[in-house]
Amino acid sequence: MGDRRRSRRLAAVLVATGLASATAACGAGSDSAGRDPNTLEVWTRSNPDAAATYERVFAAFTKKTGIRIDYQPVVNFDQQLQSRASTKDLPDVMINDTALMGSYQSQGLLKVIDPGSVAGHDQITAKSWSSTVGIDGRHYGIPYSRQAQTLMIRKDWLRKLGLKAPTTWQEMLGVAKAFATRDPDGDGRADTYGMVVPGSAQNGYAAWWGASFLWQGGARIVEPDGKGTYKPAMDSAAAVNTVTWMKDNLFCGDNAVIQPGALTAVTSTATNFQDGNAGMYMTGPYNITTFDQTLGKDRYEVVPAPAGPAGGDVLADGENVYFGAKTGKTKQEQALAAFLVSPEGQRLAMTGDNQPVVRIPVNSTLDAATVRGDARWSVVQKAYEDASQQFPNAPDFAPIKQDTADSLNAIFTYCGGDVRSQLKELNETLAGDLKDQDLLK
Amino acid sequence: MTATVTTPAVTTPVTRRGRGLTKKSVVPWLFLAPGLLLALVFKFWPMAKGVWLSFFDVRPFLGDKWTGLDNYTRVLTDHRFQDAIGHTLLLGIGQSLGAIVLGFVLALLLEGQARSLKIVRTAVFLPAVTATAVVGELWRLMYYPTSDGLINSGLDFFGLGPVQFLDNPDLALWSTMAMGIWIWAPYNMVIIMAGLAGVDRSLYEAAAMDGVSLRQRLRYVTLPAIRPALGIVLTLAAIRGLRVFTEVYVLTGGGPAGSTEVWMTRAYTLGFTRNDIGGASAASVVLLCVTLLLTVTVNHFRKRGDVR
Repeated sequence: MGDRRRSRRLAAVLVATGLASATAACGAGSDSAGRDPNTLEVWTRSNPDAAATYERVFAAFTKKTGIRIDYQPVVNFDQQLQSRASTKDLPDVMINDTALMGSYQSQGLLKVIDPGSVAGHDQITAKSWSSTVGIDGRHYGIPYSRQAQTLMIRKDWLRKLGLKAPTTWQEMLGVAKAFATRDPDGDGRADTYGMVVPGSAQNGYAAWWGASFLWQGGARIVEPDGKGTYKPAMDSAAAVNTVTWMKDNLFCGDNAVIQPGALTAVTSTATNFQDGNAGMYMTGPYNITTFDQTLGKDRYEVVPAPAGPAGGDVLADGENVYFGAKTGKTKQEQALAAFLVSPEGQRLAMTGDNQPVVRIPVNSTLDAATVRGDARWSVVQKAYEDASQQFPNAPDFAPIKQDTADSLNAIFTYCGGDVRSQLKELNETLAGDLKDQDLLK
Repeated sequence: MTATVTTPAVTTPVTRRGRGLTKKSVVPWLFLAPGLLLALVFKFWPMAKGVWLSFFDVRPFLGDKWTGLDNYTRVLTDHRFQDAIGHTLLLGIGQSLGAIVLGFVLALLLEGQARSLKIVRTAVFLPAVTATAVVGELWRLMYYPTSDGLINSGLDFFGLGPVQFLDNPDLALWSTMAMGIWIWAPYNMVIIMAGLAGVDRSLYEAAAMDGVSLRQRLRYVTLPAIRPALGIVLTLAAIRGLRVFTEVYVLTGGGPAGSTEVWMTRAYTLGFTRNDIGGASAASVVLLCVTLLLTVTVNHFRKRGDVR
């Protein structure tokens, strides 16, 4: 019996040794890009279409500098990044949303950037550079692309119904109702909707889409006090009025104004505008290529978002180039960043047949509409420069956005609720989020 | 004399067996090695790491901070998690029982050797081998909340609806449950069918001669005979019910207003939207403990039933 046990133990040891060797071999093999000083591992949050544009840009960079790029387009970027962070093996360079910078910085994932070390830094405006300043006053990213929301609207429907593109909330509501009830597609069926809303709380979408309305209504989610701390602001009269207006007119009034299923829709499932059965969509310009291909360039136009009682500001967003912490390839990373923000790099990323990955260029020598030969982009550029606000980049905004989205989605779902008390509750939650980050005023 | 007789009788077989075992026991381990390697790297090591991280404020590059049971306290006192537990239990129990009952009915209807039955069985089994995410997308279309949606067009034919299957917070969880039952019933059907194949046919004949009703036959012959199969189905369903994620994530994303939020979607949001890895790990560990407890409980009752 003892022999039997011993032999089994021997077998187990043999197998364990084999497993250990195999595991070690796996670990060594996966790190080849990390060891090569002339290869940068670069991640972007991109679908295959946008990834094709990035591949073109990186190929040009490699041709010019000889530095190779191990490119990984990652759709579920945050999940994968956290996974890599747990092994302390980050990509060398990451290109992702500006609003996530605070989150990354709070986790220590990013290298500090000296703007002066990036060739061509002086061609980036101060406004763009200001969006990469962290909570400690240092830069943690290099601006790469900017965008602002605009209203995409069916011009053939407007023409058919004898309407004009709306310039105020009330006009927008009138147009939305007309689109939903006056059979703009002429098929004799009540199968059209006024506007598209990705209103799910999933990934904070309700807050992302609703932010432009909040700014236009004079509301803020959190407000900086200029001393590095913030206070929650979703219990203000402006916030209560704005959210009440949205609830009464878009979600709980005539439901045909927005597309069916809006409360559980994310951008990938809110396809009614490109499917041709919804007439308006306030969204980012990255969709223009998709809409041109699916709906047709001649069937819609891009106009500034209708103004609310406090103005016409829309949500601005963008992407930055980040350097992963603890990698020893700073010079190569700086060379890549310099190429990405150069006129050549930006122009490559704005053109081509695939989705442009630079929307509004951060390089001030370029004009979006001129580069693309498409006047619609000047509407987006003007919206970004003159009438836009962005989520604060310094704090970790991810929990703040998610809590705001959860609350807005609940308010829009339960039409009988009291907006004032629901927003007061949200404000207390936001105060908790800021307190967790030691940022509560 | 006794010793000389006894010694070869005892030692020789052991030595022979020992030599044989060394060879014999290495081979199966080697065959198992790839699976063990995968399990070790992708299952047990991450699981152990998850348990470890649940006691920390996780900041990989700034140094993790030991927080003891804080993550557990936070998770268990969070009202969103408490709601998620309720939804998980309701969804898990409803989905499991529904899929078992429907699986049982399907197994009874489709048992047999006829070629047509084989084709129908294959067709019925398809949901179980289709990716859950794909099924979710299909059901989103079927639930489309206007008369253009497949189910609503049927209701429209009878002058009913359209029903907001996913956007109505009172209906969304039930709609998700219906999809879950649809996915898992064929899976249960196959296991129950295997159980039915082992039922002694003479019992049915004897029951028929005694003139028992169909209901009595099911109650006193079929169900006791397939008890082991039902035990397996119940154990699998309990585990599956608690870790439900894809169905909910694809269909509703936990909405509207958190009405379909389950334990795993909440843990996912905590980990990957709020970047709170410690909290998400604690939530996952609690789920692991509850799953273990439930599995052990189900097995205990199953064994007790078998003894009887």
